[in-house]
Amino acid sequence: MIRALTTKRPEMTPFLLLTPALITMLFVVALPLVFSLWTSLTPYQLTKPQTIYSFVGLRNYTRLLTDPGFWIPFGRTVLFLTIALNLEFAFGLGIALLINKITWGQRGLRTIMMFPMMFSPILVGFQFKFIFNDNIGILNNALQSLGLTDQAIPWLVDAKLAMFSLLFAEIWMSTSVFAILLLAGLFAMPRDPLEAAKVDGCNAFQTFRHITLPFLMPFAYIAMTIRSLDVARAYDIVKVMTGGGPAGRTELLWTMIARTGYENAKMGQANAMAYISTVLSILFTWYFYRKLIAARRFMGGVQ
Amino acid sequence: MNLKASLVLGTAFAALALPAIAQDYGKFDGYTLRVKLIGGAQYEPLYAEIPKWEAATGAKVEILSRKNHFELDKEIKQDIAAGTLDWCVGSNHTSFAPQYGDIYADLTGLIAPEVIADFVPLMIQHSTVNGRLVQLPRHSDVSNFFYQKSLYEDQANKDGFKAKYGYDLAPPETWGQVKDQAMFFANPPDFYGFQFVGKDEAITGRFYEMLVAEGGAMFDDKMVPTFNSEAGVKALQFFVDLYAAKAVPAGVPNYTWDDTGLGFGSGSVAMDLDWGGWSSYFNDPANSKVAGNVGLIRAPKGSSGKRTGWSGSHSFSITEGCDNKPAAASFLTFLTGYDNQMVEARKGLLPTRAKVWIDAIAEFEAAGNAFSADVMKTFQVSMSEDAFTPPLIAEWIEVSNVLWPKLQAAVVGDMTAKEALDAAQADAAAIMQDAGYN
Repeated sequence: MIRALTTKRPEMTPFLLLTPALITMLFVVALPLVFSLWTSLTPYQLTKPQTIYSFVGLRNYTRLLTDPGFWIPFGRTVLFLTIALNLEFAFGLGIALLINKITWGQRGLRTIMMFPMMFSPILVGFQFKFIFNDNIGILNNALQSLGLTDQAIPWLVDAKLAMFSLLFAEIWMSTSVFAILLLAGLFAMPRDPLEAAKVDGCNAFQTFRHITLPFLMPFAYIAMTIRSLDVARAYDIVKVMTGGGPAGRTELLWTMIARTGYENAKMGQANAMAYISTVLSILFTWYFYRKLIAARRFMGGVQ
Repeated sequence: MNLKASLVLGTAFAALALPAIAQDYGKFDGYTLRVKLIGGAQYEPLYAEIPKWEAATGAKVEILSRKNHFELDKEIKQDIAAGTLDWCVGSNHTSFAPQYGDIYADLTGLIAPEVIADFVPLMIQHSTVNGRLVQLPRHSDVSNFFYQKSLYEDQANKDGFKAKYGYDLAPPETWGQVKDQAMFFANPPDFYGFQFVGKDEAITGRFYEMLVAEGGAMFDDKMVPTFNSEAGVKALQFFVDLYAAKAVPAGVPNYTWDDTGLGFGSGSVAMDLDWGGWSSYFNDPANSKVAGNVGLIRAPKGSSGKRTGWSGSHSFSITEGCDNKPAAASFLTFLTGYDNQMVEARKGLLPTRAKVWIDAIAEFEAAGNAFSADVMKTFQVSMSEDAFTPPLIAEWIEVSNVLWPKLQAAVVGDMTAKEALDAAQADAAAIMQDAGYN
């Protein structure tokens, strides 16, 4: 039949070839999305499956739009994301530039650099939970032993310190994503512009600022896109280290969504939250793609 | 070891084990029982016994999942939602059971009455939801009170305490005394008087038992939340005051069970309210700095004269849709049987059969293990006189999830105890109303 179709209407061939992929996409992506969108319009509870048939329109969404209990974690997630991405970029860039300079043992260092990423986020969460424990944690013990403080610093309780601790764990685990992508960029960098800059009398900073960095920015934006999607869904580390507390001080979108969806079994409400948070991810992705295109244009010498 | 040798040894072992299996577990040749069990180091030794049941009945056990309780809870909820409850036996817990609705069968007709009669009646009562025995308790826990003995034997402590508070220093009988002693012992950041779990359902449970001990209740007869009563404020104020006085570690709002257990084991905390299951860890010199110095008593009393006895049991249930309920019932009877509870009791878990308590105590005493015998005795008294569960309603976890962030807010000083409880009460009342209670 396929042969008959392709011989009679050759313009159909690409569509026919794409059919398996389209069907797969339909089942793997589109249907779950439609299903979860539908559940967000119902009071669906996991433990009461019949609630999925009760349509309540936009009630879940309108409740969320007026609920500061949702928007505060939303804002906190945006802030968390912004700080994490910027610091990871800065540290990743530093590491990549340093490793790029090494002539001996570079391969070994590149592998070591990837170690934090190999741990499960839950293990990373437990590791830092005990490092930052105020009483038996190694950090407070070290600070007290060195005479730097005589207080038990509540790393995971104080609002600012707790966010710092979560950021520290997140950055520790994922800076290497930036480092490895930027390093790949450095390896791919042509030598000619660098040499031309040297001939023109540019100093190291000028060369970095006007040649290396612009060349690396597309790589940085790709890393930022990947990480923005990751961090916007930050869950495991936060769940283990603080659980979003104390008193909601470190509540991020996904600790709240998971609690609502699974512990409270209110999947309809959780999916409404998840859809609003998806908008956040789409915005970040759109922003970074625009920056990526602009950076590529810049590299091409158009601007 | 080659296969033949394994078979010979296995058969010899089964033959040796046979006299112990006095119970007739029935015959289910060729049947495969599909189960979902709680996993983790302390739960595994029991599962090593499963081949004995397989040998006795001719059935096979297929373990579909072995996860911690929170992950298992998630998976079971997904099964309910997806209609894939195609397995027979699942691990359960008295605090979790009410939220699963009617997915689990009433065991009253499935398990022999003489088997049920061997369990401690209070634990069977705690395993009953809306008049249905939906689970058979495997092992239990109840709040018990650990303390460092040496602190109470030290003459300078005795004199100093008496001079300051006007009464003798002794292991606390009331929560008022705990407060005094915690403040007396505390020397932050090196040493703390007390500690408490400070997040999730853990702090809800601690608050709840203190509320009961103060004479309050979570709900009234019509299931309207009443925890913002005077007793509630008093219960919460206990935690607030200790935190403000730095008598507990500054990180407690973020502590769960592992933190408090490790904290007491580190020797930097004078007193700890926890479950008896930590006893062997606390008394093991390889892990704990307080080994040999651990005292254990029943939980202290609140101002109503009642002790804080928050209790729960790990348990097993049979799904309503199970295709071979007699086989599943036989398996439950085996897992919670006398021999297997003795296996778990020797590992430090707290049994649910009355006879196992007595025999385990005798066994510990015969082996000269006075500490373990004492743990079991304390547990025995607490379980029969002090234990109570949270309200066995489907909304418990959801109510807990609106309550604990507010309890934390009071502890860290963002709200007063009254404000925090009033705010949580309003949210909890909405949950109960949505659930159709009033």
